Amino acid sequence: MTPEELLEQVKQKFGDTVTESEVKGVEVRLTIKPEASWEACRFLRDAGFEYLNCLSGADWMTHLEVVYDLSSLRHPNKVHLRVPVDRANPVVRSVTDIWRAANWHERECYDLFGVRFDGHPDHRRILLPEDWVGFPLRKDYADERLVPYTDYGMEEKLPRPEAAPGAPKAAGPPKAAAPLPPTEP
Amino acid sequence: MTFASLVERLYAVTEAWGLPWIVPTLVVMTIVAAVILGYIAVAAMFLIWWERKISAHIQVRFGPMRVGGWHGWAQSIADGIKLLLKEDVIPAGADKVVFVLAPMVVFAAALAAYVTIPWAPGLIVRDLNIGILYMVAISSLVVVGIIMAGWSSNNKYSVLGAMRSAAQAVSYEVPLVLSLLGPVMIAGTMSMGKLVEAQGGRWFGFLPKWFVFPQIVAFLVYFTCALAECNRLPFDIPEAESELVAGFHVEYSGMRFAIFFLAEYANMFVVAAIATTMFLGGWHGPWFPLPGLPREVAQGLFGLFWFLVKCYVLIFVMMWLRWTLARLRVDQLMDFAWKVLLPIAFANLIVTGLVLVLGKQALLYVLGIAIVLLVAIALAARAVGRPVRVGKA
Amino acid sequence: MEREKPIPIGTTAVMERTGETMEEMYVNMGPQHPSTHGVLRLLLKLDGEYIIDCVPFIGYLHRCHEKIGENRNYTQIIPYTDRLDYLASMSMNFGYVLTVERLMGVKVPERAEHMRVILAELQRIASHLLWLATFGLDLGNFTIFIYCFREREMVLDLFEAVSGQRLNYSFYRIGGMPMDFPDTWIDDCKAFLDWFKQRLPEYDALMGDNVLFQKRVQGVGAIDPKLAVDYGLSGPMIRSCGIRWDLRRNDPYSVYDRFEFEIPVFDTCDVWARYMVRRQEMAESARIVEQALAQLPAGDIMAKMPKNIRPPAGQVYCRTESPRGELGFYIISNGSVKPYRYKVRSPAYVNLSALPEMLKGCLVADVVAVLGSVDIVLGEIDR
Repeated sequence: MTPEELLEQVKQKFGDTVTESEVKGVEVRLTIKPEASWEACRFLRDAGFEYLNCLSGADWMTHLEVVYDLSSLRHPNKVHLRVPVDRANPVVRSVTDIWRAANWHERECYDLFGVRFDGHPDHRRILLPEDWVGFPLRKDYADERLVPYTDYGMEEKLPRPEAAPGAPKAAGPPKAAAPLPPTEP
Repeated sequence: MTFASLVERLYAVTEAWGLPWIVPTLVVMTIVAAVILGYIAVAAMFLIWWERKISAHIQVRFGPMRVGGWHGWAQSIADGIKLLLKEDVIPAGADKVVFVLAPMVVFAAALAAYVTIPWAPGLIVRDLNIGILYMVAISSLVVVGIIMAGWSSNNKYSVLGAMRSAAQAVSYEVPLVLSLLGPVMIAGTMSMGKLVEAQGGRWFGFLPKWFVFPQIVAFLVYFTCALAECNRLPFDIPEAESELVAGFHVEYSGMRFAIFFLAEYANMFVVAAIATTMFLGGWHGPWFPLPGLPREVAQGLFGLFWFLVKCYVLIFVMMWLRWTLARLRVDQLMDFAWKVLLPIAFANLIVTGLVLVLGKQALLYVLGIAIVLLVAIALAARAVGRPVRVGKA
Repeated sequence: MEREKPIPIGTTAVMERTGETMEEMYVNMGPQHPSTHGVLRLLLKLDGEYIIDCVPFIGYLHRCHEKIGENRNYTQIIPYTDRLDYLASMSMNFGYVLTVERLMGVKVPERAEHMRVILAELQRIASHLLWLATFGLDLGNFTIFIYCFREREMVLDLFEAVSGQRLNYSFYRIGGMPMDFPDTWIDDCKAFLDWFKQRLPEYDALMGDNVLFQKRVQGVGAIDPKLAVDYGLSGPMIRSCGIRWDLRRNDPYSVYDRFEFEIPVFDTCDVWARYMVRRQEMAESARIVEQALAQLPAGDIMAKMPKNIRPPAGQVYCRTESPRGELGFYIISNGSVKPYRYKVRSPAYVNLSALPEMLKGCLVADVVAVLGSVDIVLGEIDR
């Protein structure tokens, strides 16, 4: 089945929960609402995408996102599925019962972004110690132990993405370090 | 002029001087123990150096090269001094008496087996008429020492390691003893000196009457069990650091650890000596009279030389195997002892017994040589036609 | 940082998951252990000698790689990728620069592509040699360790000649390669390949053909092929389950489609199959290097790249075949010099997650063999 046909089938089945879609080469790119994400994953797995390459998180300032990269060992098509979740209460249904590979990937997403996965069999942190507080890969993660990094003049001033009204205020870049003392001649 | 006759002369002399019999007994015991301890110390130091050199050359490197100049011959002396000067650590909560005694028990058991080793014609500390039985029985006491060491260390992994080691030692003793019964049946005696004498002479003028020829199967079974008794690879689960459970001597350091190590090398020499005596003809070998010395002394010196050569060749093979092979898993080890070696040893015993009863001793030689030839042909065929074993699915 | 009340950690989670009777024993393997290949903690639940469950605990080597990646520009990330899988740095570099080039749509010159393949395949040989050495060492064969390291030293000498470094090379650049091969490098490489081809039968004679080794690894640590796909296994792990899947062939990148090489596949799904796959992969990598050296064209080694690398806004997930499996880099760019989101999909991370499945029904003594056959490097697992 070609990527276009697959996209048609997905749109037919899931209607308006598919908010964005695109076909880029052999890859179908979709954005689906969290209510339908598990169903969509199930549908895609049954359509032949039995291999979950990667499950990652992303923090757009207004919302968080869970990104699924799927592929198949039998045909060259790929699927790139994005599920935006609410920042205040990020919950998605876990896909560990569809692909077992999702187990550790979802634990890492929870660990670093705070997205909770309903129905995950072992919902604990994986990389950080069990009693860590905070989700480091979020853009507003502030920790006094973060060491400021200066580009020594190479950093450019770029506009940051607009935060939605009501979203938590981003911490912004850490304060620059104190200037170095002048060296002795 | 045998050792026994020298001892009798000593007894006669001290009786003439009016001393009680305990004096010459103690003198003889002290001298003998000193000589044997001295030999063990020197031999163990040499074996440690030799093992490092052999392992190095197998691994395309050099080994000790500096200490003492020529190829680091003094490395063992330096290591011994280092171990002597280390701090004496006894873990908290350990059973002190048992902890201190354990290495002594292991070493004493290994040492006591030197009593019936026939070094040369007439040179044997005491030619017991149950020689080989005594040696195997005394070597079993090493297991007691190992369990003491594991238990007293107050460490659950130590105990588990000691239990495994004891299980391994005890399991491999059964085929070991059974395989030794073959030569005993052929020679008709258990005394070590007489066993060596029974292997004198040659068949057809060139083939020595060593028991390895009719008893090749027993020799191989014995050698495998001997490796397991010494905790050498491929049977070194009790000492393996890279497995989950650490060894029984993990809490020992310094001189106590050195005693365990000395006991291991002493044990290696003992099993090699038993193999040499029972299978390789002991001190038999070509000799010629030396000018200026009586015949017996020349024969004795050559006998000693050949005995040591054969022992050290076997020890070399043990070391070679250690640095080439991988380790067996614990359950595979036990399987191998009970399901493979034991039936083979039994079969050997039955065949030997049958043939001896029927009176056809030569048949044993024929069988032995036939087995050796078959194995040689199989190995040669394998080396020539090595198939490419790669699957192209 | 204030701490909340203690959350039930590993042991309790395991107890809740598999039920608790009084006969089981919990044994801890690691995080300091000679055979866990890094700081990995395995909590084993044993019934006598049999393993009922195994819980791996990772994160001891977590160095915040992805967060750092969001604060460095694209070229500055390259040395960080070295330290992911420090035993296959060239492959990590390769995956990363390929991802950025795909995002930017850059065409790399031919000579640079061939150089990349040569170095990546030499790195595969070096990584598999180290795997073979430590695998044999864990099983008690000390000699193969020295033999494999002798060959690995030769590869490291070649890498030192070309990049100046023995371990973390940072040699690939976005758009090409920074430096060309030194004068005698190609001849040295050919000499190494000639020497190396005779060594593989030697390793077989020492370890592979030895019945003791075979008894240790055959039938141990098997995993069902369907589960292997479900768990997302890749690399030698999946090729040892009878599934012919190699990204160099099935999703070709760089110039791999110009070379002739076999994909070794075995179907017994156990540790023995993984050993055979990796052993044969070394021979195939040597073939690829020979062909690449023969086809090496003259020319530029670096495409025309702007001074500040600024990919257009967008995202890409690019996967390459590292010695351990499918290495994926997922980069979201927002048009600036630094990535907006930078994620590494590490093959050993996914392969390790299947360890509890592989250890079902194994003995304690098999843990070392199975863990060795997964070929993990904690650097890329924990990032």
